[in-house]
Amino acid sequence: MSSETGDVPVAETEYQHDDDGGPDPEKHHGHGRGGMGEEVKRKEDKRFITGRGNYVDDIKKPGMLHCEIVRSPHAHARIENIDTSRAMDVDGVVAVLTAEDLAAHDLATMPTLMDDTQDVLVNEKVKFQSQEVAAVIATDRYVAKDGAEKVEVDYDVLDPVVTARDALEADAPLIRDELEDQEDNHIFDWDVGDKEATDKVFDEADVTVSEQMEYQRLHPAPIETCGCVADWDPGKDKITVHLTSQAPHAHRTLFSMVSGIPEHKVRIVSPDIGGGFGNKVPIYPGYVVAAAASVVLEQPVKWMEERSENIQTTGFARDYDMTGELAATEDGIIKGVRTDVLANHGAYNAVAQPSKFPAGFFNIFTGSYDIEAAYGSLTAAFTNTAPGGVAYRCSFRVTEAVYLIERMVKVLAQELDMDPAEIRRKNFIQKEQFPYQSPTGWNYDSGDYEKALDKALEMADYDHYREEQARRIDEDADKLIGIGISSFTEVVGAGPGKQCDIAGIEMFDSADIRVNPTGNAVLRVGVQTQGQGHETTFAQIVAEELGMDVDNITVEHGDTDTDPYGLGTYGSRSTPVAGAATAVAARKVRDKAKSIAANELEAAEEDIEWDRESGEFHVAGAPDRSITITEIAASAYMNHPGAEEPGLEAVNYYDPPEMTYPFGSYIVIVEIDRETGEVDFEKFVAVDDCGNRINPMVIEGQIHGGLAQGIGTAMMEHVTYDENGNCTGGDFMNYLLPTANEIPNFETGYTVTPSPHHPIGAKGVGESPTVGSPPAIVNAVVDAMAHAGITHVEMPMTPDRVWESLNEAGLALDPRQNVNFEFEGGASEEPADD
Amino acid sequence: MEFDGEFELDGVPPEKAWIVLSDPMAVRDALKGCRYITPMDDEFNFDEYEAEEDVEMLPEADPEVVAERAFVEGQKYAALMQVGVGSVKPRFETTVTIDERDSENFRMVATGGGDASGSSFSMESGMQIHPVDDGESSRIEWWTEADISGRIAQLGSRVIKPVANKIVNNFFGNIEKQMSDVDEEASSGVTDRLRNML
Repeated sequence: MSSETGDVPVAETEYQHDDDGGPDPEKHHGHGRGGMGEEVKRKEDKRFITGRGNYVDDIKKPGMLHCEIVRSPHAHARIENIDTSRAMDVDGVVAVLTAEDLAAHDLATMPTLMDDTQDVLVNEKVKFQSQEVAAVIATDRYVAKDGAEKVEVDYDVLDPVVTARDALEADAPLIRDELEDQEDNHIFDWDVGDKEATDKVFDEADVTVSEQMEYQRLHPAPIETCGCVADWDPGKDKITVHLTSQAPHAHRTLFSMVSGIPEHKVRIVSPDIGGGFGNKVPIYPGYVVAAAASVVLEQPVKWMEERSENIQTTGFARDYDMTGELAATEDGIIKGVRTDVLANHGAYNAVAQPSKFPAGFFNIFTGSYDIEAAYGSLTAAFTNTAPGGVAYRCSFRVTEAVYLIERMVKVLAQELDMDPAEIRRKNFIQKEQFPYQSPTGWNYDSGDYEKALDKALEMADYDHYREEQARRIDEDADKLIGIGISSFTEVVGAGPGKQCDIAGIEMFDSADIRVNPTGNAVLRVGVQTQGQGHETTFAQIVAEELGMDVDNITVEHGDTDTDPYGLGTYGSRSTPVAGAATAVAARKVRDKAKSIAANELEAAEEDIEWDRESGEFHVAGAPDRSITITEIAASAYMNHPGAEEPGLEAVNYYDPPEMTYPFGSYIVIVEIDRETGEVDFEKFVAVDDCGNRINPMVIEGQIHGGLAQGIGTAMMEHVTYDENGNCTGGDFMNYLLPTANEIPNFETGYTVTPSPHHPIGAKGVGESPTVGSPPAIVNAVVDAMAHAGITHVEMPMTPDRVWESLNEAGLALDPRQNVNFEFEGGASEEPADD
Repeated sequence: MEFDGEFELDGVPPEKAWIVLSDPMAVRDALKGCRYITPMDDEFNFDEYEAEEDVEMLPEADPEVVAERAFVEGQKYAALMQVGVGSVKPRFETTVTIDERDSENFRMVATGGGDASGSSFSMESGMQIHPVDDGESSRIEWWTEADISGRIAQLGSRVIKPVANKIVNNFFGNIEKQMSDVDEEASSGVTDRLRNML
């Protein structure tokens, strides 16, 4: 390879400006080969819509056994005895495992991603309901279940504590009594920003506002639950685990570290994944049990969760109890932001986020605004609830931060009686301020917030709805209009390895491109798709960079035996990191192709030019003397230049220099029924800016899905617990996901502000809608009642909660007013017979 | 979770209600899903115990037999219950201890608990019979405070409470029926003899 290839600039800006030779991102619709900006149909959909997907539960192996986990009905209890004899008597039960059995293999506990230690099977004390107590291995899934019913466990039940606030009370029961020096349920305190400067700003401010809000416990609830098929091969001393994994390589390393099996003897395969949303980043006890059982029994073992097991025991999201405060001038200039958070981490500290960020990226709570001073503090607590705190379709706690600031801006606008669009405009970081350093230490790459807001206001017909809102109030109408805005900024694409790591492994990612002699190519990446469309969009990057047709590129991922090492897909990092690696690897291939082209065209290499439009190489000044990538591929294997190695391939491991900062403005218009508290969506506008766009259709699909999840968050979803620690929101009867019924039509729009440091100027988009929409929805509902003094409604905003607020504000209508008979005192007079 | 309620037995004097509610066999027959209620000791095995069939019931029963088997303060009883709540139909192996039994004031308090696969509960329940209509009829006040864990509890109180209320109403309905049987057919001699024995 030529020496140039080693220094491919990571921030090549070919697409970013019309005047430097790259296409105009606003107008760019590709060159007809399925490259950047083209609406290529998703390659993966053929198998999905024809029923040929291959998920973990589809994996069947000869002699495969099934694992069922016995779970605790209690949230907090000491185990006095486990009697497995009746279970072993069930025909077809092969083994029943308890902590004692696992301890013999040193597998009774496992490390969490935050360096805590979690019981694989409960050793002494149950710490949350449905925790794993024993495992039954049987010849059939149903037999395993029958066996699990027969495992008898004697519990000494203890008082549980389920909220962070209660857990931190002095007399709260101690949950983690097995930890040395742990005398209470406190995990850590964290803070960021300049407290003194912020306090000063608050002391001197014209106006301050404060609001307490809870980001309720959610569950990512992927339609495919978690599971695995572990297959120990005693002939090769190697274990293959088909795993519902968003991060197969990181899981391989962790698997090896936990099990003691050398890493080159561990193969993780993450086949088709039916949604991850952060839920499939951690390692769960079921995986460890199935793997241990396979090694011991020398047979494949499948473990697959039921729905309620998934919601009740695997990584939840959010559960932040937040107080927000803003300090501002009378004319609405925000001078300071202060926040304090109580974080419920569940029974173990098992959040999935970069290890140097105990509160994730929550410190982006200054949002899209240029605020002089900021200070945030957080206390995390253990509770008798399932462990978690995963980034549910967001970048590590960014959702909580965006909710906080976007809610608080609305609260301030109300206090000052200002238009919420106007107050945002007054405080936005201006486009010429980028790169912008936030008071909590982030380096925003690029943005044009006002442009996105203006576009959203126009699409939403904002002024019209403001008038309509006023009219309804004047006329004392039965249905009120509310308009909510959210102008969010995310921080995604973790991340620079020196800042971001998972269990010590730096968060780079990788791409490996091999061009075949016949001119087609295979791209292998270290990230793993769970529905994002990587097989299409990453192929488009290669198509763009090599002038190939997108149909000639296959993307492979999810198999640690063949793919380059990567940290996986979550936190909108695939395009910012692996997408960058793909572009850089493709440019390395292009560099080598150039030298082959020079050889074939009998010209000096420096005289060879590559034309992005045609995708061909030609001699400078002689466009007719050209060669395609297909011809070059053949030459690489059949007539390679003597100075070069044969073949045409390249690998790149990409360590991003910075995060990327996608943003957008969402406007939600709701109509609230004053009788029932029901909320209808009148209009739902989402304008997103994710930098350069690879496939607008895939982006739109991601936005639609994320908005649906945002509506679920704002209106329906809540993992609830009763005072005994019973999870009363742990199945789809009680944990409500939105369906097509609850989802309105979305109007999507976009602006393009490329990332200056990303090789193709892209920023990542999959999580913007989940992050950006909940505050817009809550702001809309609050806005409908703002004239009567309502400043906040907690999520999920179920009709009864909304009605309570209406009632508190004196806006609720008696549902009986329009009914011409009385409910109380018996029926009124019979209607006349005429 | 707390449940409570009242039930009126028209034309059944408190004394008669007390007799029937003191009979484990009458309670078993009135309680839907109850296979048996029987005094237990430490050796008791829920799987091996076979419920007595064809026991004599009031009013035909020999008063001495009924008095003999009546609930005893301080005694522990085993009960096997199968209850369907939503999609869950666990078989609860339950133990109940009669903590208080006041034959003067017709008041009984019991504590207990049960386990089924994936669910368990513990409870304290009580009832008090009040005379109404100058002692011609009875009003039964009942209450239960239960701690429920596991699969059933996860269904939440909005699913559990209607089921619990249905079981209780059904129970008193059946008791009332037994009472009227006693009332109509039994000679006053049987009830008088029983009352003296209890």
